[in-house]
Amino acid sequence: MEQHEDKSARWFMYTSVLFFLVTILIGLIMSIRFIAPEFLGGIASLSHGRIRAIHTNGVLFGWLLAADMGLCYYLVPRLAGVRLFSEKLGMATLGLWVVIILGAVVTLGIGDTQGKEYLELDMALDILVTIAWVMFAINIFATIARRKYENMYASLWYVMGTILWTAILWIVANLPVYAGVNDANVNWWFGHNAVGLIFTPVGLAIAYYFIPKATGNPLYSHKLSLIGFWTIAFLYIWNGAHHILFGPIPTWLQTVAILFSISLLIPVWTAVTNFYGTMRGKWAQANTVVKFFLAGTTFYLLTCFQGPMHSLRTVNQIVSKTDWIVGHAHMAVFGAFSFFAMGGIYFSLPRMLKRPVFSEKLAEWHFWLSFVGFLGFAISLWIGGFVQGLQWMDYRISFLDTVKAMFPYYLVRMFSAILMVAAQLMFAYNVLRTARGNGHAPAAPAVA
Amino acid sequence: MKLETNAILLLVVVAVFMFLGSYFTMVVPLMDARLNAPSKDARPYTELEMKGRHVYQKEGCVYCHTQQVRNLLEETQRYGMGEEETFKRFGIRALIQAPPSQPGEFAYDQPHFLGTRRVGPDLARVGGKYDNTWHINHLRDPRSTSPGSLMPAYSWLFDKASQPTPDAIALVAYIQKLGTNYKWREEGVEQARKLQGISAALPFKEGKQ
Ligand code: HEC
Repeated sequence: MEQHEDKSARWFMYTSVLFFLVTILIGLIMSIRFIAPEFLGGIASLSHGRIRAIHTNGVLFGWLLAADMGLCYYLVPRLAGVRLFSEKLGMATLGLWVVIILGAVVTLGIGDTQGKEYLELDMALDILVTIAWVMFAINIFATIARRKYENMYASLWYVMGTILWTAILWIVANLPVYAGVNDANVNWWFGHNAVGLIFTPVGLAIAYYFIPKATGNPLYSHKLSLIGFWTIAFLYIWNGAHHILFGPIPTWLQTVAILFSISLLIPVWTAVTNFYGTMRGKWAQANTVVKFFLAGTTFYLLTCFQGPMHSLRTVNQIVSKTDWIVGHAHMAVFGAFSFFAMGGIYFSLPRMLKRPVFSEKLAEWHFWLSFVGFLGFAISLWIGGFVQGLQWMDYRISFLDTVKAMFPYYLVRMFSAILMVAAQLMFAYNVLRTARGNGHAPAAPAVA
Repeated sequence: MKLETNAILLLVVVAVFMFLGSYFTMVVPLMDARLNAPSKDARPYTELEMKGRHVYQKEGCVYCHTQQVRNLLEETQRYGMGEEETFKRFGIRALIQAPPSQPGEFAYDQPHFLGTRRVGPDLARVGGKYDNTWHINHLRDPRSTSPGSLMPAYSWLFDKASQPTPDAIALVAYIQKLGTNYKWREEGVEQARKLQGISAALPFKEGKQ
């Protein structure tokens, strides 16, 4: 059995958890503002228009992508049966990543933004991200190239796909050459696929690896994982325009996006069937890791049912631009893919450190508070957003009245956000104590 | 063919698939002249408006405001002029719908501000809705003009004497330009006057209004 050093994997995870805490706190500040608009007012760098970009970029790149990269450094060498190509390169990538995230906080704080959702980062940072991604790619591809087993497991296809998709999306979308409605179209070509071809495939790679490990069951179906992969590869990229339905783009483009959006049910339902199938028989005695994957899979199913439904013109007419969408986006990024990453971290960290998690009980609390907090967050926004959408359809209701009508929903959202933050505090504390190993002597290296 | 054992082949097929979808949904629109050319009455931004546009970008107004009147009746109504507004400003009661946004209106926009979320109302047709003083007061303290608003007060766009900085003035100039390429307010009012003039001249009126 290969001895893994896992330094890059661990440090990517620690860093990501730290960034998660900071960015989710910013989310909390924003949610308080919807109740008390003057809260922390008068400070330019803390105004909604600035910290909203810090929140999204921080959660996506500081937390989720970094955590996913850490998990890739863990699972790719194990699936390849060899050590990671270079731990040094991995640590250098981490160093660069930290520079990028800190740079992002500073530049976005002073209002230095490209002004497009999810593409806010300044050009200099864009270039650094590209370099860091190439370093990550070299490490992963070189590990896969030296693999001991000829066959590649599903997770490896997804990781390789993610690396290629991310690189192309990031570089093409950041070219400063588009204008007007094409700029919007490219923005959503990127924005949709940032979820569809970055966080989805790497999230699935993680789920495909850890669900069989954590449950002790074999993968339910190899064939389903193949169908899922190739349909994702073919179908996702056509969908960007469903974010601008009824907008100033050609009708044919909108219709193409709608048709492909509905076809997305295929990859989603294949993956979900595979995950549920793999977990069969283990639901009742689920430990925390399995709980995270079970809930994550369910949220993945739900968010990816909402997505195609939103692209139907009749539904889109009502929910588009409302708070409903905010609930939907959080279900994908928090409910599904963050849950996968958390499950992966709880499973892998003790195995890398060869000692148990600091507190199983705290991990349970982390799960349940995240779960309940998220449900409160999303359900309040779904109801509120739907009401808002219906109110907007009657022009005699003034816009200001539709804003005021959201108060009770925003209140529930804020309290739910407090639960979500409290949960992540427990997560960070648990990870920290596990890392420092207080109270636990290292156990015999039995599991790898 | 065993794609799942050959890493290079797998990556090639993935790239081909990505190219296909990107070509049709992204490259084809990029080459479509109707999406790139300014509409005939669109004009580029003045220097002041451009400066205001940068402030809009810097302050992230786009996260709370869209700039697209979608092609839907409820939006052309909501973002048009209601009867109260036309009565107050033009002495005539009429609902004047805003024209839906057209691609050619955005040709000079880089970056685009189409937006995805409406915490506040759409701004694509807001130019000419209020006067400059209203906007200045609104930016200084949104709750003074719109009680219950969730918009932040932009105190840093004002100096110690609470006077608007050049940035605030530029921002207002930019906002006032939005959606004014078509003279839809003036034309709408004129048309409504004509129609009501005709109906006033008719010998029979329906009911008693
Ligand atoms: C936190 C969200 C938020 C941000 C950020 C924000 N606004 Fe607003 N805005 C609102 C809300 C809510 C309203 C509706 C109530 C009102 O009139 O204040 C509004 C109203 C407006 C209106 C009046 C529109 C109308 O048709 O009545 C204008 C103009 C406006 N905002 C401009 C801006 C500009 C310029 C910025 C950036 C400097 C900005 N807003 C940033 C929430 C926001």
